[in-house]
This record gives sequence, structure tokens and C-alpha cells, in this order.
Amino acid sequence: MDYFKDTPMDKNMTQNKKLFKYLLAVVILMAFAPRNSYADGFPVRPGRFILSPSVSYFFANKQYDSTSHRRAFDNNGRFHSVNYAFYSEYGISRKFTLSALVPYSMNYFNTDSITHAITTSGLQDIEIGLKYYLANINYKYYFSIKATGIIPTYRNNASLGYGYYGSELKLAFAGSGHLFGKQSYFVAENAVREYFGSESVFQDRYNLTYGLTLDKKFKEQLSISIGGFYATSGNSMINPNPIISANPNTSKNFAFNQVSASYGHAFTKNLSLFLTGGTFITGRNTGAGSSVSASLNYRLDTR
Amino acid sequence: MVRKLKKYFILVLALSAFQQVFAQHDSPVVAKTSPGKTEESVSTVLNINNKEGIFNSVASFTFDVKNTYNSQQEGTVSYFITDEKGVKVKTLSKPVKIGQKSAERYSFEIPALKTGFYKLNMMINVSDYDDTTRRAFGIRADEIKSAYPKPADFDAFWKSAKADLAKVKPQFKVTEDVSQNTDNRRVFLIEMKSLDNLTIRGWMTIPKNSNKNKQFSVLLGLPGYQVSLQPIVGRDDDLAIITLNTRGQGNSRDVIHTERDAFISYNIEDKDKYVMRGVIMDCVRAVDFIYSRKELRHDQVLATGGSMGGYLAIALAALDKRVTICSAQNPILSDVHNLTGSVEWPIKDIRKYVAGKPGVTFEQVMHNMEYYDTKNFATNVTCPILLGLGLLDPYVPPANGFAVYNSLNTDKKVMVFKDLGHEVSQKYKDYEGAWMRDTFGLF
Repeated sequence: MDYFKDTPMDKNMTQNKKLFKYLLAVVILMAFAPRNSYADGFPVRPGRFILSPSVSYFFANKQYDSTSHRRAFDNNGRFHSVNYAFYSEYGISRKFTLSALVPYSMNYFNTDSITHAITTSGLQDIEIGLKYYLANINYKYYFSIKATGIIPTYRNNASLGYGYYGSELKLAFAGSGHLFGKQSYFVAENAVREYFGSESVFQDRYNLTYGLTLDKKFKEQLSISIGGFYATSGNSMINPNPIISANPNTSKNFAFNQVSASYGHAFTKNLSLFLTGGTFITGRNTGAGSSVSASLNYRLDTR
Repeated sequence: MVRKLKKYFILVLALSAFQQVFAQHDSPVVAKTSPGKTEESVSTVLNINNKEGIFNSVASFTFDVKNTYNSQQEGTVSYFITDEKGVKVKTLSKPVKIGQKSAERYSFEIPALKTGFYKLNMMINVSDYDDTTRRAFGIRADEIKSAYPKPADFDAFWKSAKADLAKVKPQFKVTEDVSQNTDNRRVFLIEMKSLDNLTIRGWMTIPKNSNKNKQFSVLLGLPGYQVSLQPIVGRDDDLAIITLNTRGQGNSRDVIHTERDAFISYNIEDKDKYVMRGVIMDCVRAVDFIYSRKELRHDQVLATGGSMGGYLAIALAALDKRVTICSAQNPILSDVHNLTGSVEWPIKDIRKYVAGKPGVTFEQVMHNMEYYDTKNFATNVTCPILLGLGLLDPYVPPANGFAVYNSLNTDKKVMVFKDLGHEVSQKYKDYEGAWMRDTFGLF
């Protein structure tokens, strides 16, 4: 009958709140170069905007062939891609979250045999998503499903994308807890994506992320990820244009797996910076490259 | 009895300065060790072989004995099982020999017990050590029902009380107590008029926020028996926290200021004047207060408390549908008729009061208490509710707690702590916070 004095409740509520600080981290950019991907899983607070501009750089001077052998591009070929993206989420309600991704890409391919690099640039596919918070287990593990519509912003430019409308369905599972005396979280997700067109493309995208905080104030975080794409199309031909075939964003029959590590620093409780580096570990019909990226993550509560 | 409680409060209050006091383990139980020589001892652990101490049919428990003496320990291990009112159900005694510097495990199974909760006394009497360990366990707790009906005019009684409250102008008053402000929270003394025109006070703390239109979810903390609630501050920036001192408690003792032991019996002989009628209406008035404030979210109100606070949380959720979710830990006055013979408090204090009131009978008072019985309020709760119970609770016997839980006809969850008394563990508080945040969308 000592109930309801002072400190305990406050302490408890604060502790529980900490679990959700990870949301800062789990919206981090996955540098699946040159296409950005964003981890889902945890629900988003109603009325909250998450704004995340990012830049990533992908470089490949090797490629995986159709038998997954890694070899150099002909004539010392080099593929570079710089990608700018703006990603945003908005918590519509406790259950629904709206998201939008607007990517802009600049791609270069150069060899020793050509005097001027092949370059392309432009807006890519805009993605509009609606996430639904399905369920949780003891408020520690969360399940969500997300439907995304893909809208091409260009015409007849195979170096920017397929030019098809598409849709994606993603299932995500995320959780948080203690490990090795530190707060940690994980996100596991898989998405199936279909581009609709004369040469429709089916993709499966997966990602597994594990992260932990380095300090008690939740300012420093580290995470590691493994993820990959698998894409198949009715047209199994490989485009001979290297700026297309080297680019995982534009190939139609390809696969890769990538590992990445990310460091996050929170400047304030609403503003964080994430630096990510990743490299392909296996692949088929795509460039064999590495990427680095930086993303800002800003939260704005409107309610 | 209540003196013992006081000591308990003081102890816990002192310990609560340290976080560990609320991080008590619910399992396994810390071994009991014989006093004296540190290098030689007998220690025991009694474990009920179910996470919550509740079985469907056969109860089972184990008794581990560790002997670090350089000599054999010889004697008996016995158990004595009673029902909650102390009536013997089963006993057993077996001779044991525990070799020097060795350990033994004794396992027991008790079949064919009736639905209900049982007290288990495990005794060890060996060469250098005598001790008794007490635990409790339940059989088919989800089938436990109160044997006592709800008064037919229960709802009408409380409708009348609310009507009386509505006649009192609240005259809400909010005064910032700058001296108690922290770097991230503002502290306000809140005052309001409640039933019988009594002034009720409490505290409200609100996170500092640059958004003038920000509305905060509300945690309404209700008080334990004769506890003086203080403002709750801390690092949370999402919640407005209101701690209410109902009449006769804390800074709301202007008119009713009884001795500690006497509060529970104050005017108990008249159900229309019993102190709890006003106390419960004070809680309703607190919700009126929340609704009067534009900086508070009216659709996100958690009513929470333990002991009397747990009782008030359930009563409030039953009577006021504006409460969004309810968390009640170890609610007192649960299945009141069935408390007789099971607990000392509050029955002993009520009997003492009745003895000093000529013409008032214990039966009459207990009849009045039916209008204040937690399990009768429980039937009217419609919001989601979390209930915490300890199987060793000396004021809320687990069967009484389950009579309340099984009376709830709403989205409900019970967390049972088999090795705790009148308290819940940190696990409960963690779950409560996560549940509240999820329900309110405070991700």
C-alpha cells in the first residue's frame, strides 16, 4: 500500500519511452545503391512527419556475370552513380502511415576506350506508400504491411528505370530489447514488387538490420544490415549498354546481396544523421560495387 | 496491523529512492539461508512450478535444499496446505537426510484440488536449521466467481452520486508552482470542488513545449491508502501527469482528516455518507478537470494506481466512460464479503469501528460495502484494463483478485506475480507503459 508515490511511475514511463527512440534509427537509409530503400517495421506516431533527405554514391568497376562470376568491366569500365533522394513519412493515425520517396539519379559509365563518359540523369520512380500497423507481441515486436505504388517520372530512358508503373507489398517485423547490456533493435522485412509493362519485372527485396545504441542518451547508434534484390523478367536478355546492365536499378534480370553498416548520431531528439557504407557480396547480371551514403532524419510532431 | 503496514510503507519509501526496489524478481525466489556462519549454512528455495503459480488440475512445486555444512543434516521436510481462510487442505511430512556439502530437491504434486487459491507453508526442520517458507498457488483461477451478488440498485446508487456531484460547481483552479518546476516540466497545483463541496487538490505536471497548441495524453495517478501524492516530474515529454489527492489524503485534508487507521471506516455505517463515495466522486471530478483543459487530450486518459489507487482506478473506469484505459494493481476491497476470514485489513479496522458504534452491526456495514466492492464496479468497466495481482498479497487475496478479473467483461489482461505480495514487479510497469504508449500512439 505504498502505491503511487512519486518516482517509480515517472521512471517507468521514461524507460518505456526509450524503446521508441529507436524509430530515429530504423528509418535509416539502406544504401542499396543506387536505389534507396527505407526500413519499415515500427509504427509511426500519429501526426508525426519524418523527413529524410539523403545522398548516396555507388561505384562499381566490376560486374557479376550471368553465372555470378565477378569480373572487371571490359576496357577498365567504371560505373558511378550519385543518387539524391527525399523520403518522408507521415503518421496518419495509430495504424496508418503514408510515405513518399522522390529519387534523383546521376549515372556515369566510363572506359579507357571512350573519350567521354556515358552519362544520364533525372528523376526516377516516385514511390507512394501506405503502411498499416498489423499487430505486436507484448509491445516489443511489431508487424506491419506496406503497399507502395511506383510512378515513373520519365519516358523512354532505360538508364533511369523501367519506365513502368509498379506496385510493391512489403511485410516487416521489428523489435527492440536489451542485448549485451545495451538497447538494441532489429528489423526484418521482405517485399515483392511487380512492374507492369510489356516486359514486366518481378522483384523480391529483403533486408535484415540489427542495431544498438552506444550510449545511455541514445545519441550514438550502430547498425549492420544484409539485404538484397532478386529480379526477373519475361525478357531475360541482358542489356548490352553497361550504364543499364551495371545498374541494379535498371537491369531486369539480376540479383545481388549486400552487407552494410551504419552509424547514426542524434544532434537533437528530432534531428539525426546516418552514415552508411555497404558492399555487394554476391550478385548476378549486375555491377559489383560498393556504396556510401548520408542521410538526415528530421522528426516533426504536428499534434 | 496497520502499524505493521506503516513500517512497510516507510521501508519501501526509503528503498524507492533506489530503482532496484521496483525491479524485484518474480522468479526464481532468492534462496533463504540460515543465519550465523557465512561459510556454513542451509539454504532453501521453494518454487511453484508454473510461471504464474496457477494450474489447471495438478499443482506441483519443488523445494531445493542446499547444505554447506560439513555435517549431514537430518530431519523432516513438510508442507501444510490451507485454503485462503486457513482451513487445512493437505499436509505431508517426510524424513530427509542431506549429506554434508550437498543439495537435494524434493518435488511434490497435489492432485484433485478444487478451484481456488491455496496457501502453501513449506517447513524444513533439520539438524542445524528450521524454517518455514510461504507461497501460494491457484487451481483454475479463470473459473473463480464471487459467491456474493451485486446489489440490484448498484448502478442507481452511483448514478445518484454522480448527479449529486454534478450539482457542485467545480471551480477549477490551477496555480503554477514555479519552485517545483524542472528544466523540462512545469508543475501546477490543481484545486477543485467535489462532492459535499469539499476542496480537492492534486498536482499536474506538463512537459515544456514550444508548441502552444500541443495537447498531451494524460496519466491520472490515483492514490494509495493515506498516501500523500506529490508532483511527478521526469524526462517524459509526451505525458501530462496528474496526481490526485482525494479527500482525507495529502493536501486534501481540510475537512476530513482522520487518523490513518480510521479512514477506511469513516461513516461506513451509512452507504450514502461513506467516505469512499466522496473519494470516488473526487476521481470523477478529476476527469471533469481533464476535460476542462485544452492542453490535455480528452481521448487519451489512463487511470492508474495501486492498492486503494487500483481500487479507485477500477471504480472510476466503471463510472466514467471518459477514461480511455485503466491499470489497477492490487486493488483493495475486492469481493468484500470474501475478505472476512482471509485478511486482517481492512476487516479488523472495520470491526473495531463497528464495536465503537452502538446500533451498527458488522453485517450492516458489509452490506453497505457491497456498493463499494471492486468486483461490482468491474462488471461495468468497458475500457481496456490491465490488472496486476500478487499471490502473496495480504490485503487482496488472489481469489478475490480473480473474482474481480473474472467480473470484467472487457478487453482485459492480468499479470500475476506468484512470489510478490501487495505489489507488482517492474515487468508490470514496463508492460503498462508500453501498452499505454501503444494505445495512445505515442510511438
